[in-house]
This record gives sequence, C-alpha cells and structure tokens, in this order.
Amino acid sequence: MNRRDFLKGLLSTSYVVLSGTSVLAPLNALAKAGAKDKDGWLTTGSHFGAFKIKRKNGVIDQVKPFDTDKYPTDMINGIRGLVYNPSRVRYPMVRLDFLLKGHKSDTSKRGDFRFVRVTWDKALGLFKDSLDQIQTNYGPSALHAGQTGWRATGQLHSSTSHMQRAVGMHGNYVKKIGDYSTGAGQTILPYVLGSTEVYAQGTSWPLILENSDTIILWANDPYKNLQVGWNAETHEAYGYLAQLKEKVKAGKIRVISIDPVATKTQNYLGCENIYTNPQTDVPLMLAIAHELYTNDLYDKDFVKGYSLGFDRFVPYLMGTDDGIEKTPKWAEKITGVSESVIKELAKTMIGGRTQILMGWCIQRQQHGEQPYWMAAVLATMLGQIGLPGGGISYGHHYSSIGVPSSGAAAPGGFPRNLDEGKKPLFDNDDFKGASKVIPVARWIDAILEPGKTIDANGSKVTYPDIKMMVFSGNNPWNHHQDRNRMKQAFQKLECVVTVDINWTATCRFSDIVLPACTTLERNDIDIYGSYANRGLLAMQKMVEPLFESLSDFEIFTRFAALLGREKEYTRGMTETDWLKKLYDDCKAANEGKFAMPEFEQFWRDGYVHFGEGKTWTRHADFRKDPEINPLGTPSGLIEIFSRKIDRYNYDDCKGHPTWMEKLERSHGGPGSDKFPIWMQSCHPDKRLHSQMCESQEFRETYTVKGREPVYLNPSDAKERGIKDGDIVRVFNDRGQLLAGAVVSNNFPRGVIRIEEGAWYGPVGEDGSVEGGAKVGAICSYGDPNTLTQDIGSSKLAQACSAYTCLVNYEKFQGKIPNVSSFNGPMEVTT
Amino acid sequence: MSNSNIEMNNARNSVYQLLSSLFAKELNRAMLEELNGDNAQAFWAQLATQPEFEHYVKTIVDTLANLNTDDDLLELAADYCGLFLVGNKHSASPYASLYIGDKEPTIFGPQHQQMLTFLQEKQLQLHSDFSEPADHIAVILAYAGHLSLSADETHQLSYLKMNLANWLSNFVAQVKKTDQGVFYTAVAKLTLAWVNSEIEWLS
Repeated sequence: MNRRDFLKGLLSTSYVVLSGTSVLAPLNALAKAGAKDKDGWLTTGSHFGAFKIKRKNGVIDQVKPFDTDKYPTDMINGIRGLVYNPSRVRYPMVRLDFLLKGHKSDTSKRGDFRFVRVTWDKALGLFKDSLDQIQTNYGPSALHAGQTGWRATGQLHSSTSHMQRAVGMHGNYVKKIGDYSTGAGQTILPYVLGSTEVYAQGTSWPLILENSDTIILWANDPYKNLQVGWNAETHEAYGYLAQLKEKVKAGKIRVISIDPVATKTQNYLGCENIYTNPQTDVPLMLAIAHELYTNDLYDKDFVKGYSLGFDRFVPYLMGTDDGIEKTPKWAEKITGVSESVIKELAKTMIGGRTQILMGWCIQRQQHGEQPYWMAAVLATMLGQIGLPGGGISYGHHYSSIGVPSSGAAAPGGFPRNLDEGKKPLFDNDDFKGASKVIPVARWIDAILEPGKTIDANGSKVTYPDIKMMVFSGNNPWNHHQDRNRMKQAFQKLECVVTVDINWTATCRFSDIVLPACTTLERNDIDIYGSYANRGLLAMQKMVEPLFESLSDFEIFTRFAALLGREKEYTRGMTETDWLKKLYDDCKAANEGKFAMPEFEQFWRDGYVHFGEGKTWTRHADFRKDPEINPLGTPSGLIEIFSRKIDRYNYDDCKGHPTWMEKLERSHGGPGSDKFPIWMQSCHPDKRLHSQMCESQEFRETYTVKGREPVYLNPSDAKERGIKDGDIVRVFNDRGQLLAGAVVSNNFPRGVIRIEEGAWYGPVGEDGSVEGGAKVGAICSYGDPNTLTQDIGSSKLAQACSAYTCLVNYEKFQGKIPNVSSFNGPMEVTT
Repeated sequence: MSNSNIEMNNARNSVYQLLSSLFAKELNRAMLEELNGDNAQAFWAQLATQPEFEHYVKTIVDTLANLNTDDDLLELAADYCGLFLVGNKHSASPYASLYIGDKEPTIFGPQHQQMLTFLQEKQLQLHSDFSEPADHIAVILAYAGHLSLSADETHQLSYLKMNLANWLSNFVAQVKKTDQGVFYTAVAKLTLAWVNSEIEWLS
C-alpha cells in the first residue's frame, strides 16, 4: 500500500483525536494572568544573598548580584539551576501502593517505589484523611510535624509557619526542641553565659579589628560559612575579613586557627594554624587553663567578680579529684599539640587583647557541650569578656553576626500558631504519657523505640509512638545521621507527607509529595542581612509557579479550606494584603526612627535601606555592672560550675567542663584500630546544607566525576593507591558511600572531609537504583550521613552528632554506578 | 491544495494529535473507552497495515484491551509518572532541551523558547490545563500536526528535522531503558517510526 492510500485509509476510519486532550489553544484565548516581562531588572533575595533578575519570554534569563553586595557568593550562579531543575516536583504525587492501600501499604520499599500524579484536591484530601486516621486511631502523639529546618527565605511564605499553622488547625502533634546546627551549644550556654550565644549579636567587627591583638579561630571557618545567611545575606562581613587579612599581613593582629585542617579562612587570611587531633579541643583548652592557673597568669579579679564555681573547677583541673592533672604534657599526648606550643599559646592569649571566635561544628559531636563550656571558662580566666576585641563569640561565622546592626525593627511573618482562642479540629491533648516535645535529633530513636524514657536537659522525655511525619521545606534525609537506621525507622511509619520544590531524598521516602514553588515564583519580603538588619528587600515574583507547584500560602490555604477554616487561616487576607500588612506594621514600628516609603513605592524600588549601624560590644553592660545587668544564668554570673547541671547527676555532662573519651575517636582513640580515619562533615562551601546541591551546572564546578568531593591527605591517599580524581569508597560498619578524591595538603594524616548536604543517592550492590531502598545500599553520590553516628551529644542536650565519625576508605574497584541522587522516585521491578 | 491533499493531511494530523495525546497525560477511563472504541479500532487497524508500525500498534492495542480495572489504569499511570513526570537520569523526561546541547541542561531551556516563538507565529499557545514547558514532546507533535495542515512541505520537513528528529531516537532509547511496562515503549517507538516515515515522505 502506498502512503497516499494508507493515509486515505486512516481518514476513512473517521477517527479524529482523543477529545479534550489538545495541548494547544488559540493565542490569548486562555491566557494565564501573571508576571509579564518588564524592562530592566527585578529584585529578590535568598539565603545566598540578594540579586537581580532579567527575564526573557517569562523565563529567568540573567542573574546578577544586588548592587550593594560587594562580596557576592558564586552560589548565585546556581539559582537558575534550582528553579529550572529537571528534578522539580512538578505535580502532587502519591506513592502508588499508598494510594491503593493507604495506611496498610507496603512500607518496606518506601524510598524506591512507584508514584502517580494526582490532582491537588486528591492529594490534599489524602493528606487530611491520613491526619484524620492518625488522630482518630492513635491521637496526637502519633503525629510529628515538628521537624523543621532552613526553608527558603521570605517572611510571608515561610514553609514552617504555613505547615504548622495548617496542621495545627487539624490537630495537635509532636514538636521538636533545638536544632541540628547548634543543639549542644544552645543548650549548654544558657547555663554558662545566660543565653544561647550562638544566636546572639556579637561584638562588632570594627571593634575587633581596632582592639584585638590576637584572634583565635577555634574550629571556625567564617570565610566559608558567611556566604549564606538565615535571611538574604549582605556579605558585609567579608569587608571586615578583608581588613583583617591586611592586618595579619602587616603584623598588627595575630590570627591563630586551631583546627585539624587548614581552613578556607586560614588560607585566605594567611594566618597561623595550630593543628590539634580531631575532637581533642577540650584537653587543649584544659591545658591552657592549667598553664594560666599554675603560673598565676589568669585574671583573678574577673573570675572572682563575674563568675561562679571556679573553686569547684580547680580540683578537676589540678587532678586532685580524678588523679589526672590537666597539664600541657598530659594534653600533648591526646591532642598532638606539643607542650611548648600549648604554653606559648596560653601566654599569647593572656598577653594581650584576645578575641575567641568559636565555630559550630565541634559541638555537633558526642559531648559537644564541653568544648563550648570550657571555651567560656578560658575566656573568663582571660578576663576580657565585655571588652571590645576580647572575650568569646559563638557566632561570628553566621548570618551577619558582628556586622553593626541598623537597629531597625524587622518585619513580622505569617503566624505559625493558631490565632488566640482557636482550637484544632481534633481538640485532643492526650499524648498518652509521651512527651509533646522531643529533642530535635532524637525522632528516629522515638520511631524505633516508642515508649522509651531518656534524660534530656534536666527532664525526662518519653518517646511518643510516631506513625506519621509531615515535612515542609525540610530535608531530614540530609541532616539526620545514619541513613540505614533511618530506612528501618521509615518502614515503621504509616504515612509520610513532604512539601518541597525538588525531589529530595525525603520526598523519595514519602507517600504524599506536594510541589511548592521556589521563592522566584511568588511575592514576599525579607530582611536584608539577618543580624545587620541593613534593610528590607522586596522578593518580587519573577515567573509564574512552574508546572502545578503552588506557594506555601496557597497550598495550606487550600488545606485549611478542607477543614472549613480558610478564612481563619488567611485572616481573610490575600498574599498582597499580607505583604502590605507585614510592611505597614514594620513601617509603624520604625516610625520616627527609620524612614520608610509607602508600600507601593517600596515595591517599585525593591529595597528600603535602614542605614549603617553603630558598633557594639557583647557583654559590655554585664561587665559594667553585673548586678544591674546580670546574665541569664541562675546566679546572674558566668557559671564555671553549674549547680543545676551538677544536680542532674549525668555521667556525660557533669557540673563543670570535663574531658571525656569518645565512643569513636581517631589518632589512637577508641575504634581507631578498626577504622583509622576521622571523617569531618562540616557545613559545605558550595551549598547551604543540602540546598543548591541539585543545581547541576553549578554542582559540576566542584564535583569529581559527578560525585561529591572527599578531601584526602596526600600520604594517606598514596598509601591506598589513590590519586586525584579517583572514585573512592568510604565505609564503616554503619554504611558506605562513593565520592571523588581531591588530594590536598589542607588535610592532615588520618583526616578526610566530606561536606554535609551531599544528596543521598543509594543504589544496590549491582548498581541498580531499585536496590537503593534496601538497608546497606551504597550511596552513589557521597552523603556523609550514610556513615555518621546517630547518638545524642549527652543526656543534657541530646543534640546531633553529625560532624564526626570514624571510617576507612579505599580506591573503588567495582563497576561505578550512576549517581541516583538527583531524580524523582525510581521504579522497582516487583 | 487539492481535496485529496487536505484529506491526507487531516489523516497525518490525526496521527500527530493521537501521539501527542498519549504523551500529554496519563490515560483515564474516558480516553481508554475512546481508544478501545470501534472508530479507534479501525484507525489502529489501518495504522497496523504499515509493517513498520504493525508491531507497536499491536502492543498498544493489546495493552489497551487488557486495562480492565481502575488499578490497571493506575499501574499504567505509575509507568507514565516514572517515565515522564520525575527526574531525568533514570527516567525519560519528555523535553527536547534535556536531550539537545552539550551543557548539562535545565528545563525551560532554549528549545522551550523556540517552541513558544513557533506557537506565537501561528497564533497559538499552550492550553491552560497543560502546565508543561513548550518543548514537551506532546507540544512538538501537536505543532507538527498543525503544520501538516498549514505549512508547505519544506517547512514541515525542516521543522521535524530541527525540532524532533534530532533528539527523538535518544528519547525513545531512554523510554525503552526505563519503562517498567511495555505500553509507553511501544508508543515511543511508534512515534519514532511515524516521524521517520514522515521525514522520508516529505523528503
């Protein structure tokens, strides 16, 4: 049959096309309302900084840093890749077996199962039905909607607020206390210094630059970490770091980085390094204290006038209570820092104005409370707390802390809680004897061991029997420890709901996945520079929400409508009404102090500048008069010995800072015979935790053969026959991963680094994606939390131990599997 | 254009629109009934008279005939979802921009812009119910159907070569590799065979 006859034959069948399936329509007939291209650049912001965008045919075309940002991070080059990522969650989706069997679904293959697209109505209906079932069958103790995290920026669309307000309208649920970033620090420091300190404004950089003789960067890498902020980051701190670099060069300020590795900051500043064995900071600090004490070098007046309990600490320091005097000689064996260096360091610190700047990583470990407490004791002995350029800070690497604040009032946000007097639909507060609030990093323990009672910060916590989890703008399959243990826990859950923009591993291990749009697809406002509060930033919608994604406001307004509470949820206001209200409330709060134009003008301009700030010294008021301005500790003084903690009688957090051996420690410590290498998993240089990892073009600027880099010591690598660019298998008894070798002199023997935030991509032994759901699967990309310990820091904070564990590594010899992290769910052949 | 040519082009358009529809969204009950109806069966039978289509049409028709329950439809929807609605590496995202160009691609890339331009030139746009980039294979096929009725053969040939034939075989290979069933592999292969026959004919 020739083609002509064939086609005629086709037409004779009278079949035209499936009705109602055309993807094309006449122009303008069904035009969507939305953002049109405008001439010029529009303004918005993100954790990575503020930036401007130009569009082309409704698509983001160019991105450039905000005019005032003199030190932009190159992470903004990844913004387009976040928005237009092939791994976008495009539609509401439900795991097929969950759709068919609901709470009786086969959860053993969760993480690698088949999904189907559903409508928003269907998805939200299933979400509500699941909550109904949980509240009816088990009550509020079976629902955990309190795992929240870094979200995207924006005061109105904050994913945590929307999810918790909406789910809270339905019923009560288990919440968390603390966070993964600073769990141990924020728990111990209120006992010691009266506030969390980690989230407190610090002494202004200009005062540090003017007054400090020595700056101690203790496990601190601000040059790496200041690229991102809780709000849109201004990056002003980099200007001060540039000045510091000049002063280091000119010999005017001595900067000493105490760290096992040569940090990015150390390399930038060209400063000194004192190498210490991993996890041995407390012995080093004790030895410095010993040197100050025994040589009568410490500030006795300050200790006497501003602190409590030094007399209870000294017997421990001198070994009269445990038989071990904490001498530099003693510390040398543990820390690898020579006695003479320790003595010299002590003299340097007391010999002039010394500012101690602590990083956060070292408190993300077993006994993570201790280095923070002991550092405060050291700073107290130096006697410079409250002086400009002296004392101690726990936050100068974070969100503009130390940048002089404008002092302006910041805008509020969308409410997280129910309005006053309102009750949830399931007004049941019976948690069946379980705790309503659990330490943030102990939720997997709770799922695996419901009913167990643990100590936590002076109280008892009884684990609820969790059956359902709800996540929004949060990726615990990045930030929690020990993936294989997580898999076992998730198999016990009846329902998991996740709201996100791209297919994170958390989405893959969920039953219902709801697509949120990115910050560039909705209007919002944000503070410019978290602690600096430099101004107010308009986050202007650049493009309409892609596919069927919706803003957080819209998603949970629709959910509230299912409860018949839409108007209560929104308070009868639209997105625009809310933006205007948040702005106008902020304007009223700043009336007479900071000039702010009308909302419409602000929105056109894209930015309100609050001006430069004034310098300030942390704890200066306390130093001036500790009776009038006491600290928030029980005594109002710095507590070197805490009666309160002592009364808890914990074996892993005693009444004063203490050196305690770890379950795992390298360089001769426990477990190092079997797994001799210490793996450090600090905050990433090229991401915000796991945010931005999926942005492929940008990711390829730092990956090795498509894998997360593992930084290796040259001698260690050579011994294993590994060279730059090889694929390396890193393993211990908990798990295994593949990563790409970067051999670098920045890393000493026995130490490797894999930065956290690397997306989890498990594959089976044969490299198949379907094998990835199984316990023991290898991570094809290099997520360090495949290997970390899921243990609490201590009975005090019960914080995470994400930073550190023992491993070994080898050159990978097998068939290299494809990376499976950056996709949606895989399909399983059943 | 003669009546005969108009009829032939209507027939060609029907094939393009049918293939577009199968890629555009999951099959639902109403679509299934239409596809299993008498008119469609005759259409399938006529398509299968061409040896290069026969095998794929048979697979499609057999699959459609055995979709008896809603659960069967859901299983097929899960195949569709795994192939076309998630990710890119272990699925077969249906966007031209993910297959063209050597830089790691993003969605809503240059091919999306190109298709938007084409649509505007013909006073067309994406249907508001179709929330996908314009370089989705369903759009490229539907527009090819539109061109079969409205453009000269040179233009049609150029369009197919520049916007579909240059990535279709890679896409079809990816469908074959990642499809958990047989239906969409058959639809993809039928599409490739159809487009090849079109190019040959137009040439």
